[in-house]
Amino acid sequence: MIAQILLSLLLSTVFLYAWIEYRRSPVVAFLSSVASLAGLYFVWVPADSTRLAEFVGIGRGVDLILYTWVGISLIIILNLHLKLRTHLELITVLARTIALAAPAAVPAEMAGNSAAAPGSIPLDVSAARRSAAGRRSRRRGDQSA
Amino acid sequence: MESGLHPKLWVICAAYNEATTIGGVVAELCRAGHQVVVVDDGSLDHTRDIAAAAGAHVVAHPINLGQGAALQTGIDYALGRGADVLVTFDADGQHRVSDIPRLLEALRREHADFALGSRFLGQTTNLPTLRRWLLQAATVFTRLTTGLLLTDSHNGLRALTRKGAAAIRLRQNRMAHASEILVEIAQSGLRYVEVPVTIDYTAYSLAKGQRIGDSVTILLDLFAQELYR
Repeated sequence: MIAQILLSLLLSTVFLYAWIEYRRSPVVAFLSSVASLAGLYFVWVPADSTRLAEFVGIGRGVDLILYTWVGISLIIILNLHLKLRTHLELITVLARTIALAAPAAVPAEMAGNSAAAPGSIPLDVSAARRSAAGRRSRRRGDQSA
Repeated sequence: MESGLHPKLWVICAAYNEATTIGGVVAELCRAGHQVVVVDDGSLDHTRDIAAAAGAHVVAHPINLGQGAALQTGIDYALGRGADVLVTFDADGQHRVSDIPRLLEALRREHADFALGSRFLGQTTNLPTLRRWLLQAATVFTRLTTGLLLTDSHNGLRALTRKGAAAIRLRQNRMAHASEILVEIAQSGLRYVEVPVTIDYTAYSLAKGQRIGDSVTILLDLFAQELYR
């Protein structure tokens, strides 16, 4: 029962994720939805999974394999999602650096002020870069520790 | 008069495809004597040109990153220009310039580093009931997760001292930044105060605003950040 509840929560999360991702990729959203709904069905109606297993010529051991596969797949998906977020952070730092290095417009009365020249701006960008680098090095440090 | 009280006050507007409203918003802020930086978040329209023509400093993201990323860029820019006080202000025209002096006064009176606008202490016009419930649910969630006793957790009108602005670092690029900034305020241990403000909802600002589905995205973003922090 505990395993069924845990798997249902995980599969529900995948379904929610699929719904959110629909605008970006309808195909992925559809496939993820079908997989998560099918998983939910077999989790709560294991007899049908056994019948299906018998139908395709596989014994009951497939249940364990199937559940394990579902768990591993979810973790892999989560991991990919987190990696994408990390890359997005780096892209953000890069885009911010570009934006601050060359402001698109500075009012005329400020443009002549040397203290306000575009080149003097990205002080905190370097801080952001250090922050991102720090997070990366901490992760590497965690791995080597 | 505000500029006289705060000569190094900067107003930050994050803008994405706001050509309809940005000119009026910037012009009104400039008339009040404020320095304005508009962060054009990869707009596809003429937002940056209109903002520049109205008298704002314009910093342009080469790609669309989200409001949180744009605000952080604006904070970096203003701090780099020597800002002592920073105000975040929506570009869609739903905030009132006349509320800014109240935020500044609250900062000074309470010796606070953050003055957070509250539409529920102040007023709203044309706020749909469903959105009111959603905002109140978000406020309860924020109270539980941060311990901050707020009445309005997703109000974009805020004032920050230089010390306060330097204490926060937004990593949530999109709408979850509104919750993230409160988490960072709580973690900073710096003093905050809520200030009654007025939010004017228009058909335009409602169309540009958050949807119910966005709240799910915000929760997932906050959860994901906890996993890889």
